[in-house]
Amino acid sequence: MRSRHFAGYLFASPWVLTFLIFWLFPLLYSLCLGFTDYRLLKPTYNWVGFSNFAALFSDRAFLESLKNTFIFVIGTIPFTTAIALFLALLIEKKFPGRTLFRSGFFMPSITAMVVIALIFTNLYSRGGYIYLMAEMLGLSPPENGFLLSSKTALFSVMAMDIWMSVGYYMLLFLAGLKSIPGELYEAAEVAGAGTLRKFFSITLPLLKPVTLFIIVINTIKSFQVFVEIFVMTKGKYGSSTAVYFIYETGLNRFEFGHASAAAYILFLIIAVFSIVQFGLLRQRGIR
Amino acid sequence: MMKQTKFLISVVITAAAVIMSCSGEAEQKAEVTLEWWQFWTDPAIKPAIETMVADYEAANPNVKINLSDLTWANGHEKIVVAFSSGTAPDIIELGSDWVAEFSSADQLADITKDVLSDTALYNGWSPGIYNDRIYAFPWILGTRVLFVNRELMKRAGFGESFLPINWPQLKELCYKIDSLSDDIYGFGSNAAEKHRLYKKFLPFLWASDGRIISKNGKYAVFASEKSYNALKFYKELSDSCSMVDTQRRLEDAFLTSKVGVIISGDWLLKRIKNENIQLNFTTTLIPGPEYPGKSFAGGEYLAVSTTSPNKAEALRFIRHVTGRENQLLFCKANYSASPSDKQAAEDEFFKGDVNLQTFIKQLNMSRMTPATPRWVYVEDVIESALEEVLFNDAPVAESLYEANKKIKELIFQ
Repeated sequence: MRSRHFAGYLFASPWVLTFLIFWLFPLLYSLCLGFTDYRLLKPTYNWVGFSNFAALFSDRAFLESLKNTFIFVIGTIPFTTAIALFLALLIEKKFPGRTLFRSGFFMPSITAMVVIALIFTNLYSRGGYIYLMAEMLGLSPPENGFLLSSKTALFSVMAMDIWMSVGYYMLLFLAGLKSIPGELYEAAEVAGAGTLRKFFSITLPLLKPVTLFIIVINTIKSFQVFVEIFVMTKGKYGSSTAVYFIYETGLNRFEFGHASAAAYILFLIIAVFSIVQFGLLRQRGIR
Repeated sequence: MMKQTKFLISVVITAAAVIMSCSGEAEQKAEVTLEWWQFWTDPAIKPAIETMVADYEAANPNVKINLSDLTWANGHEKIVVAFSSGTAPDIIELGSDWVAEFSSADQLADITKDVLSDTALYNGWSPGIYNDRIYAFPWILGTRVLFVNRELMKRAGFGESFLPINWPQLKELCYKIDSLSDDIYGFGSNAAEKHRLYKKFLPFLWASDGRIISKNGKYAVFASEKSYNALKFYKELSDSCSMVDTQRRLEDAFLTSKVGVIISGDWLLKRIKNENIQLNFTTTLIPGPEYPGKSFAGGEYLAVSTTSPNKAEALRFIRHVTGRENQLLFCKANYSASPSDKQAAEDEFFKGDVNLQTFIKQLNMSRMTPATPRWVYVEDVIESALEEVLFNDAPVAESLYEANKKIKELIFQ
């Protein structure tokens, strides 16, 4: 019996050790750092209690980055989810060239974010296609391009993120749609239900588990937005986000104590949001 | 008695043998390996660096130099991590604005005694000095000058020999070039890149005799009337007649006659030469409110880390690299005009080239950034303030005041 347990632990040990050394230890270590004034090149560091956390709440740059992160989350998730569902409903129907469209919508999700961000940086710049199209439509885009104006930089990154993400979530919705029994729609038709009625009474309720999953992972992903900002704006023009702030503070200014505190504040925000989302959707009958 | 004599003789023989073997070892020098981290990876320059290393190794057979390349994209981070983890190389190339950061953290060896006699022979010591001690040897210096597209200048109605010597003339030139057509811009203004924009603004601040930090390094003095005037002028240029883009794209636009006037470094001369670009251009000193103006200067410095077990040999190697011949070797390979050696700057190579001469003249009329440990972060603050003013139309005075507050905090951190 004991040797069977030992074999089990032995097989699990590579993962457990990796988890302990590369996940749990850094997590706990960074939590401890959050209570110190540790900075690289500084010979000593001191325990400073909660002062890093307190300082962050009076740091305009951090508050600005948190505000931008919330704008990003609130501004992208509803659109991403709605467009992904809409595309899934369109793609689900059989029509010539369906595979081509499905691949086309999904393609951005499997392309490296850096590549897409670089392409969009050019599209948004003065003389780029998006800029020229906006001019042709008489929209008077910002003088120096969309990414060099604090009025449009963050929203431009958000628009690109929505375009990039919808394909992946569309695929998840498609999987969800496939799992809805066809008999339900047949029964509804017999009862005289129209397309809208079927959508709101059958499709949407039965897609709730998938919707919950999409919202939760998209929320976590959006709170952690970084690569797009790093490549496209370097956090400038009012587009810095919480993770970009942590990167700047930790890996550019090497203020690890300050950066760790910011990382834990973000961690708490994401945790609270995830718990609330699960709670709300559970109340509405999703198990 | 006999026993005692035998004993004494054997002691003398043994001691003599030991002394002789020791002197033999001293004659044959111990093997020394030096680690050198440097940033020059350009295929045109790397062979020159390798030649310097090979020459030194040939002249000193007991010394082996291990060369490692860094990039400007992440070199600073790698150096910070190396110093923090005690794995720094013996010799390290540092940007002029990094020396104070590392010397204040006791990571660089104090070389004051060893190089004091050299101070009159080389330019650009100030960034290598911290608390009146010398920590880094100036190697290659750099400045920015004004590049003017002569063709656009002529089309805008200026004579062939016209060159702007003060702000009103610069403004007039840029405005007139800008009005030539919708897709031609008068001036190139930097954006969207770190550590670029502030270097383009500083010539205007230096020329106004403005400062960011007081001479004694104790006070933030960025919020001043001089800064206000410099930033207002730069904003006027940027708003009314500028193409705003990254340095590379501004240079592309200049080379294709889409921008009339830009501020750039000697790398643009090298590009024009290497790519054989046919362009009617000239270089001139950056104007100030009145003649003459001032430019921004920086450079590459060589330092020895405090943890190096071979400090004396490392310093000998630094002297070899920064020697006149090697500086000329470097400048010729790089087609640049910024040796720190005063005599090297007198070489025929520079005298025969009017554009390289502009750089040498400008270097003498330029100012380096203050040797402040947190300067790299002060740069961020300055750039944020400039961006707020230039691209968000934030009030100039308020932005300078806010930036000054942050700079003050950084000085005292």
